Amino acid sequence: MKNNFGSRLGSMLKVDFRRMFKSKLFYILLACALVMPILMTVMMAMMDGSVTVDPQTGVESVMVGPENTWQNIGTLPGGEAMGGMDVFAMCNINMIFMIVSVFICLFISDDFRSGFAKNLFTVRAKKGDYMISKTLAGFLCGALMLILYFVGAVLGGAIAGLSFDLHGLTTMNLVMCMLAKIFLMPVFVSIFVLISIAAKQKAWLSICGSLGGGMLLFMMVGLITPLGSTMLNVVLCLAGSAMFAIGLGIASKAVLNKTSLV
Amino acid sequence: MNAIEIKGLSKNFGPKQAVCGLDMTVPMGAIYGFIGENGSGKSTTQKMICGLIPTSGGSIKLYGKDYTDPDVRACMGVLIEAPGCFPGLTVWDNMMLQASNLRLRNAEEEVIKILKLVRMEGAAGNKYKNCSLGMKQRVGIAMALLGDPQLLILDEPLNGLDADGMRIMREVFTDIIKDGKRSILVSSHLLGELQKVATHYGIIRHGKMIREMTAEELDASCRTYVSLQTGEMNRSKMLLGCKYSRVEEDEAGYIRVYDLTTPEEIVTYLYDNGICVTEIKTDKIGLEEYYIDLMKGGK
Repeated sequence: MKNNFGSRLGSMLKVDFRRMFKSKLFYILLACALVMPILMTVMMAMMDGSVTVDPQTGVESVMVGPENTWQNIGTLPGGEAMGGMDVFAMCNINMIFMIVSVFICLFISDDFRSGFAKNLFTVRAKKGDYMISKTLAGFLCGALMLILYFVGAVLGGAIAGLSFDLHGLTTMNLVMCMLAKIFLMPVFVSIFVLISIAAKQKAWLSICGSLGGGMLLFMMVGLITPLGSTMLNVVLCLAGSAMFAIGLGIASKAVLNKTSLV
Repeated sequence: MNAIEIKGLSKNFGPKQAVCGLDMTVPMGAIYGFIGENGSGKSTTQKMICGLIPTSGGSIKLYGKDYTDPDVRACMGVLIEAPGCFPGLTVWDNMMLQASNLRLRNAEEEVIKILKLVRMEGAAGNKYKNCSLGMKQRVGIAMALLGDPQLLILDEPLNGLDADGMRIMREVFTDIIKDGKRSILVSSHLLGELQKVATHYGIIRHGKMIREMTAEELDASCRTYVSLQTGEMNRSKMLLGCKYSRVEEDEAGYIRVYDLTTPEEIVTYLYDNGICVTEIKTDKIGLEEYYIDLMKGGK
């Protein structure tokens, strides 16, 4: 039997994808990614213009709902508030970068909690296969969630009767924006994989660590992948992802080599 | 060539030395019974052989190659502590995952064959978390056996198995080593069961190998004794204690005389003292008693 890198990685991917497609959490997260933008858009559109009065001070505040479907994906030109930190810039598709950490942390910690890691690492002297496979599985899950969120945002916008006007941007910008987000995903996935491998069976620790670590980069997602993205954004995201994946991959491998795997 | 050759292996957990300078040789085609008290370093040694924990010193060679060699490691089967199965998946799914991990070509056929071997074919559709302790152990053994491994590392594989399960495992173990190329390193506290299959033994204490021997050597070093029952047990014990150097009463209520003697000599001696022997036989101490004696001697 061949024991080269391709064959080893292929079998590891087969294990991970088989497990991923059997996992309820995977489908729950995909469903959330699809439903969340629909519910958020429709509910916020319904509450648009509603006035609430503080009973103590008597101050009135008016709820501002979304005006445009693409606000779920990014900030429209000229629509920035507080330097791009408006509610839609925070609670939009970029949330997926944080939510995917839950999947990765539980996916990896389950390997160690169940003891399946013993079966994996006994027959795999090269730890790199494990880490690459987990990164790819996490990337696939994240990419699918981003795509489903996009579909959900479009459906939500259509249901709520929001505008689909791109405010001077083109469909190509939208495509590039989505591609940039997808190619940025490995940056986050590599961080979550490293933290999960270090935490091993302690899922709570890896989730807290990942959310904390991810938060540091989260603010930059909107700036790196705006609605008006071009090929340059895509290339930058791809280059950043490659650098992070290789750098953090080496660190993850070192952690696996130097620590107990049971 | 030996299946496992360990020299000066050590492992420290902080200031605690779990394994210190362990030497061990498992020949090819052997069923090596690895025996020791709780916390003596058996599992730690097995984990180091499997590459699951880093060593602090020493060398491990598997089939003449370093234990980190990917080709050697690809031919190993393992069951350490608990079977590595996902509780939410079925037995079949867990087996198929392991088959993918091992890159088996005819995965489904192999899984069916192994499940039949451990009598678990009827429970393949059960979720692992719903299996009984014995069934879980069988699944763990099945996962270790999958892919026809050259070297099996089993830690307490007989725990939780019923009499039938133990018989099957004995048959499987002896069948595996038939060709003389494959080897099994098995640790167990069920020494009686281990003695039925093991061809070699290694006894570990406080992280050090205190004795390594073959089954023949064990047999030769196990003393024979005369076991008897009489109408007056207390008086018999007292009388025999005066004549022989080591006389003990066992758990079943028999008097054991360990000195080199014959049943005829004992019967005559007791008869001369007015005691009638109701039952007498010669026997040999087993692995369990040998081990207990060795441990007592070492204290």
